Order: sequence, then structure tokens, then C-alpha cells
Amino acid sequence: MLFARKWYVLVLLILLGACGSNLSPSGDDKREPVDPGTVGPGVGQIAPDFSVSDIDGNTVSKASAMSAKKGIVLYFTMWCPTCDAHMSHMLDNIIPSFPEVGFYAVDYVSSSVSGARSAAAASGFIGTPFTILADTDQTMLDDYDATMGTTVVIDSDGIIRMNEDYKDGARLKDVLSGLP
Amino acid sequence: MNIVKKLLYSLICAALITGAALSAPTSAYAGSCCGGGSPANLLVPKYARAVADISFDYEKYDGFWDQDGKHIPDLQGSDLRQYRVNMGFAYRFSNRFQASLIVPYVWNKNTYSGLSSHSSGLGDSTLSLWYEALEDLSTWRIKTAKDMVPSVNIGPSLLIPLGISPYDDAEGSFDVCGRGFYRIDGNVLIEKTIQPWNLSLLFSYGKYIERPVNREYGTYKEPYDKVLGDRISTTISLSYAYYIGSGGDTLTGSVSYAYLHEENAKIDGSEMESSGFMKKSIGGSVVYSGTDSDWSFRGAWSHTIKRDGWGESFPSTDIFTLGVRYAIR
Repeated sequence: MLFARKWYVLVLLILLGACGSNLSPSGDDKREPVDPGTVGPGVGQIAPDFSVSDIDGNTVSKASAMSAKKGIVLYFTMWCPTCDAHMSHMLDNIIPSFPEVGFYAVDYVSSSVSGARSAAAASGFIGTPFTILADTDQTMLDDYDATMGTTVVIDSDGIIRMNEDYKDGARLKDVLSGLP
Repeated sequence: MNIVKKLLYSLICAALITGAALSAPTSAYAGSCCGGGSPANLLVPKYARAVADISFDYEKYDGFWDQDGKHIPDLQGSDLRQYRVNMGFAYRFSNRFQASLIVPYVWNKNTYSGLSSHSSGLGDSTLSLWYEALEDLSTWRIKTAKDMVPSVNIGPSLLIPLGISPYDDAEGSFDVCGRGFYRIDGNVLIEKTIQPWNLSLLFSYGKYIERPVNREYGTYKEPYDKVLGDRISTTISLSYAYYIGSGGDTLTGSVSYAYLHEENAKIDGSEMESSGFMKKSIGGSVVYSGTDSDWSFRGAWSHTIKRDGWGESFPSTDIFTLGVRYAIR
């Protein structure tokens, strides 16, 4: 059984060698302070400009989205089960309480406006309060340091108030409630 | 409570659950990004001291179920795949006790019409301990009720979050190879063989261990505590062994049905609506083993029914497996 014991030792060494932060997760707050006057994706920074098409072919920019709104929410979706659950939760529990806020779902996986429209239709989000944006070249994805489920809140001054995973929506609700 | 105390607490809880209910887990699914993965019931047969196993999985994603159970097709132009090599080893310590370890290596390949991504890394791994509570002593002759006693194996298993998770150093969701949480399962495996038939039931109940989170996809965030919901997994399978010629080689065909359910996750104690999921799947396998049974080769297919009601908040996939197993005497 020498072979077996060697095999076990080898596997254990592999496991130990692979030890990452997941094996001993940290709860320390390691966020670095951001410079409020700069443009970037961090909370407190000036939100990067964007100009993309929505699924109806209209060009939407940061300025036009902010027009006459207390703020906007950008939700980054790849039309997956998690995204679907988040967006449905937002429709039922968040959006009705904040009529002065614009809600945008950013499709970053479709290569065309028509593709984004088809995806939104297949997932049942056509005709909802969401405006679907087609980020066909992933510019918004990169500029906002986003991924699936990232939720960004921009206030009427163009400052980012939140940039994190949607989770249960409680944080989004708090941030939107605090908008001036 | 720190992570070590939580781990010990969960181990104790799992042991109690196991002892009380004669149940224990083996997650029927090692943790890949979406919960699919390698079979964890790697058991050493009576005549051997150890078993080495290697298998290759190809998982093809094809749509998903939303939180209401409605099946949604994948986007046009998308092609989502995961490949896994599962390395397993099981060792018998005594007549009734054995342990196993399964470590997957994962390749993700995701193509959308406007984006493609490749990533790879270790997946979440499973360490299991099994105790043979009952032995099936009569597989050839059934004359009395006693001959109907099945084999019963019970034991805990630990899911080790070796894979890159959303809370690790991942750049985006496409890099994820694991879920980022320890999980303790209580498993029970009941099998009865009446040659050439075999019926087996694998039941697992798992509890994740709450952990602190201070970053999402590589970016540090305001810290919070998160725990995934309790998980129930059940697989029932029926097999038929066909003896080839007079040499004793066997070809065993199986069909199975699996049910997987995970409750909603919690963040700082608050439940995250629609974060749980459910999946039902069917499967089939063919195993060839030689006369001495030291070597066996298998092919398997796990299939989800892409209809409403067969899942909730979960991707529908097909998993094709090729594997080889060697029993060390």
C-alpha cells in the first residue's frame, strides 16, 4: 500500500499548494480610498460617460439617461438564471418605489442591437420599466469594472453611489432611498 | 464565531445528523460553478484496498429555468461549455471504514455572439468518509426476508472550495470554477443487488458554512457575511449486469433519476429571494469490467428535460462522461 499512501500525500500536497483566499476567507475591509474628483468606477468617483444604443435603436448617453432623473441604475446582465432572478426582483420590489429613477439593463454579451432585443424578448423583459442597452463592444462593462450582476447607482450629479453585486437588493434600496 | 469554530460546529452537526438519520451526503455533485460535477460516491469494493479513478466530463449548457420554472433558451449565437477532469482516490482503512477524495480540474469555454471567454483551474473538491453500516450478503440467492437486507453506507463529506469563486481573485463571472463555500454533507447510500439487477439510492443533505466576503470578482467591497442555502440531493438508479461470454466480463447498464434542491442564500442573516435553485435530471450509463473487476471503463450521460417545471433558477445541461477505474488489491 506504499503506492496508495504516496498518492494520498501527493493529493494533499496539491490541495495545500492550491490554498487560496477561499480556504481562509477574510472579512477585512480592504477597499482603497478613491479620489472624488476623478472619473472611474469606484464609489464616490465621477461616472464614466457612455453612449450606446438601446434595443429600439435610440442612442442613450449618460447625460440623456440622467435627464430629469434623481439618478439611474445600471444592471449588467448576461441573461442567465441569476440575472433573471435579480431583474425580476427589481421589477417587483424596487422599481415601483422609485419612479424618479431610471433603470437600465446593460446587455454585454450580444454582438448587435437586434441580438440584444431577441435576448430581452426571450427572457420576457420587453415592455418592462427596464431600458435595455446593447453594450456590444463591452465599453460600459470595462469602464464600470462590471460583470454579471453588477449594479451601479449614479446620482443626479453624475457621482457613483454604489457599484457591487445585486445580492438581495437591500443595499440598492438603501442607496436609492438616500438619493437627494 | 470564526471560520474554524464554524467548521467544527458544522462537522459535529453533520455527524449528529448522520448518526440520527442514517443519512449522510456525498454531494452527488462536486461544486463546479453551477453545481454540476463529478459523482462523489467513489467506494472501494470489498476485495480491494483502494480505488483510483479518473474521468472526463463534457458539460454542454442549453438554456436555463427561471425562478418560476419556465425554461428559457440560450441566446442566439451562444455556446457555453465546461470540461472537467476528475481525479479520484478512495482508500479502505478497515473492513467497514473508507475515505475518498475527488479533485476536479475545470475548463470553462463560453462563447456569446459578442463575447468569448476561456478560463481554467481547480474546481471545488470533495473529501468523504464512509462507514458500511450494513452489508448485502446475498446477491445471488433470495430465499428469506433476511436475504433482502441491502448494503447501507453512511458518512459525512466535506466540500473544499478550491475553485476560483466570485469572492476570490476572479476578473469576471466567466472565470469562476467554484462556489467559494465549505459544505458539510451527510450521505447515505443504500444498495440492493439481486443478480443481475441492482437498485441504489443515494441521499445527501448539506449545510454550507457562513463566510465573510470582502470582494466580488476581484474588487474589494464593503464586507458582509454570506451563506448558501441547505442542499438536498437524491439519486435513484437501476442497473442490469450482462455477462459477456463465459469469462466473467460484465457490461452493466444503468438508468437514473436525480433531484437537486438548494434553499435561498443569506446575507448578514437576511434571505436572498430566488437565490436557491432546483434541478431534476435523468441519466444513463454503461460500465464494462473485466473478469477480475480490477479495471472498469464507463460512459455516462446526464440529461435535463428542457421543459417548464424541471428546474428553477438553474441552467439546463447535458453531461457526457468517460471514466476509467482501477481497484488496487
